[in-house]
Amino acid sequence: MNKRRMAEVLAAHAEGLTGQPEAIQRFNVTAKEYGRLSPLFQLAERLQQSMQPVQPSAAFARSLGRELVDNAKHQIALTKRLRRAIMIGAAALGSLVSIASVVGAIVFVVVRLRTRAQARTLHAPAG
Amino acid sequence: MHEESDAALITRAKENPEAFGLLYERYVSNIYNYIYYRTGNHQDAEDLTARTFYRAMKHIWHYVDRGAPFSAYLYRIAHNMVANWHRDHSRRQIISLDELVTGTLKREGPAALAEEREEQDLLLQVVRRLPPERQQLLILKFVEQMSNAEIAQVMGRTEGAIKSLYHRTLVTLRKELASEGNGREKITGRTKDEQETNG
Repeated sequence: MNKRRMAEVLAAHAEGLTGQPEAIQRFNVTAKEYGRLSPLFQLAERLQQSMQPVQPSAAFARSLGRELVDNAKHQIALTKRLRRAIMIGAAALGSLVSIASVVGAIVFVVVRLRTRAQARTLHAPAG
Repeated sequence: MHEESDAALITRAKENPEAFGLLYERYVSNIYNYIYYRTGNHQDAEDLTARTFYRAMKHIWHYVDRGAPFSAYLYRIAHNMVANWHRDHSRRQIISLDELVTGTLKREGPAALAEEREEQDLLLQVVRRLPPERQQLLILKFVEQMSNAEIAQVMGRTEGAIKSLYHRTLVTLRKELASEGNGREKITGRTKDEQETNG
């Protein structure tokens, strides 16, 4: 009996233990093969008996579920608030930049007009 | 009523906490079982289950569906949590309350029951000494009652690889149990006749 067949038969036996008894029937296991695999079959059955599903306590499961949802709500609210703050900040900064550029443009024009006026006065013919 | 798929719930969970609550309800027992059988006590199973779901929730934004079931993602987080737990516990040895309780029951119960429990405990102790992926395989197979194909999906391997790993795991487990000493013939599959024949 090669390793591959052994693995296939053991896997089918395990499928049988977990609700698919027809899986092992696909393999025509001989008496000799059965004898060789029997200790491993027994071990698998022992494992199945020992490894029964356990349930978390209802109180624990309920309270953790509630905590997780509350925490997630808090996180989402926090993220939304942060996003809004960033948007407001960016808008305020944008407005400041545009006001500053308008003021800058006005100052530039005023300074330029004054400079021209002064230059005209200096170059004007005397008398 | 048609049950919402994991993928749809994950998408909704990024905006709606109630959707994550549904995912939690769907998988809390599986993750709890996995951690319980890896740690051996309920207290740590509760603690690590909570941490697993908190981490999953924190990183749900970055979750990318690559075709593996969502449970594979949760088992991976749980696996890391248990690995850290084992690392911390190797530094300080603690006898869990569960062990104390079963120890007391063992002494107080009828002899046959006590022996049965002892054998079961020994088997689970040896299972816990196996490499993590082999433990996971046994938990998914016997506790979660998954088919080989489902286990392959969760563990990200082929079905053939799972069958071969299962075979190797049983062989190793049998050797480990045999080396544990006398009085384990029931677990290792050796009959009394066999023992008498072998002396």
